[in-house]
Amino acid sequence: MLVLGIESSCDETAAAVVNDRREILGEVVLSQLDEHRPFGGVVPEIAARSHLAHLDRLVAEAMRRAGLGFADLDGVAATGGPGLIGGVIVGVMTGKAIALASGKPFLAVNHLEGHALTPRLTHDIGFPYLLLLASGGHCQLLAVEGVGRYTRLGTTIDDAAGEAFDKVAKMAGLGYPGGPAVEKAAAGGDPARFALPRPMKGKPGCDFSFSGLKNAARLLIESLPQPLAEQDQADVARAFQDAVADSMADRVRRGAREMKSRWPAARHLVVAGGVAANAALRQVLLRIGNETGLEFLAPPLKLCTDNAAMIAWAGIERLRLGQSDDLSFAPRPRWPLDPNARKGAPNTWKGAKA
Amino acid sequence: MIVLAMDSSTSACSAALWAEGKVLARRLSPMARGQSEALMPMVAEVMAEAGLSFADVGLLAVTVGPGAFTGLRIGLAAARGLALAGGLKLAGVATPAAVALGVPEGERQGRNVLVAIDSRRDELWLQLFDSALKPLSPIRALRPEQAGELAAGPVVVAGDAAALVLPHLPHAAASAAPGHPDAALVAELAAEQWSRGESLPPEPLYLRDADVTLPGKTVSEKTVSEKTGP
Repeated sequence: MLVLGIESSCDETAAAVVNDRREILGEVVLSQLDEHRPFGGVVPEIAARSHLAHLDRLVAEAMRRAGLGFADLDGVAATGGPGLIGGVIVGVMTGKAIALASGKPFLAVNHLEGHALTPRLTHDIGFPYLLLLASGGHCQLLAVEGVGRYTRLGTTIDDAAGEAFDKVAKMAGLGYPGGPAVEKAAAGGDPARFALPRPMKGKPGCDFSFSGLKNAARLLIESLPQPLAEQDQADVARAFQDAVADSMADRVRRGAREMKSRWPAARHLVVAGGVAANAALRQVLLRIGNETGLEFLAPPLKLCTDNAAMIAWAGIERLRLGQSDDLSFAPRPRWPLDPNARKGAPNTWKGAKA
Repeated sequence: MIVLAMDSSTSACSAALWAEGKVLARRLSPMARGQSEALMPMVAEVMAEAGLSFADVGLLAVTVGPGAFTGLRIGLAAARGLALAGGLKLAGVATPAAVALGVPEGERQGRNVLVAIDSRRDELWLQLFDSALKPLSPIRALRPEQAGELAAGPVVVAGDAAALVLPHLPHAAASAAPGHPDAALVAELAAEQWSRGESLPPEPLYLRDADVTLPGKTVSEKTVSEKTGP
């Protein structure tokens, strides 16, 4: 079984062809990082324009690398949400059109489901397992019970982890994107110089919060001589990264215990999302896996960040169950994986984001 | 030659199959939003109704704007996807020209045609054509009260922003034509332009930069040059 996957929900335009033997046959990713860098974050209209400008060529290139024609495919999968709607629309319309023109089923894939099912592509693991999804747009703990079956154990009640990294990096003058910038600076930082709060630590449940920590970091930065000296930047970065890792450790430990008690068959703790690139955080997760009896797995980084192979793979998983979507599918800016997740965080007036 | 055409550039959505002056099948619905849901089923329906496959299509055509940014991307992403997977030739058609073609001949006699497209900003997209629909101006971004600069004489006005410019044009009449393009006319226009080698590339005519706020200042509205329109 062969599926073409398309991803365009944020600032990466990507296409990939994957088969049901878990092989990525052709893959292309185009990052828009340089287009957004001057603005210190992703600009939705710029992103949407860029997706349209490049996507068809990238799909052609992924097919060429796979050495396949559209007639060889068994389905066409595109991210249907959640994400920046302008980009999602471009990917969905491209996917629908290719599906229609080649007479194949269309699959609108939940971007988060793409992340959630990635460890089955990379490590062939069975259900259920615990997933920490931490990126610029999301931070949640999910019990992955099966294709289309997710229970959200915890989520951020305000900012996503990656978002907090970006904002703190910006305030400290460390550049964009913030994750790698903070990590690099923190490597030379003094862990004992500043103390920042550990949000949610010790609280019941396993929700996350980064907004208060971000504000504490802002106050700390503002209290220092401006612009920040290199050592001050490093020490702030270290204090912030330690606080995030410590807070996450507490939350994930609780999530792991809940997972083991509600789903005793669970064997794995998996991380996905760009924040998985942070080595300090990976150390923390490895330790918690050992403590709680879950084997820690991290897919290769290029499959942790946004990519099209995960969308193609989720398409395969759904196609194998006989699922596909209508050509009238409406792109969804908001699309929670767990529809029963309690009303509360991180709901805004528009309802649950993800 | 069989032409498959699509439009989602303004406040409607349509798909049509056309061959040598005859509409083989057509779907059209006015809609301010929802084109991303409606368009592909419309294409599938016209193909099924005409009993054709994509291999029978000689030219694929799509409106490229100016118009609603999201609408332009819906049509263009669909068109580029169909062209890629179906191995189809693809032609862009400017939205004002497609709207102008909807103005009945009787309304045009002895008068120019002014097309006004909603830009969702203070300035509208305006283009003037003669009675035979030959463009007399590029596509310009003007405020409604500036329409007289473009169309001083007798003129019939069409387009989804026609009602905004009419009060400012003493010698103008409103066209009975719908304010949005019709894919059947897009197909006709595309066939004509293709035969003359005058098709537009399948790329959006945004004619305006993305609105972006840089820390401390606003960067936007840089383009809107008279040279940007075809």
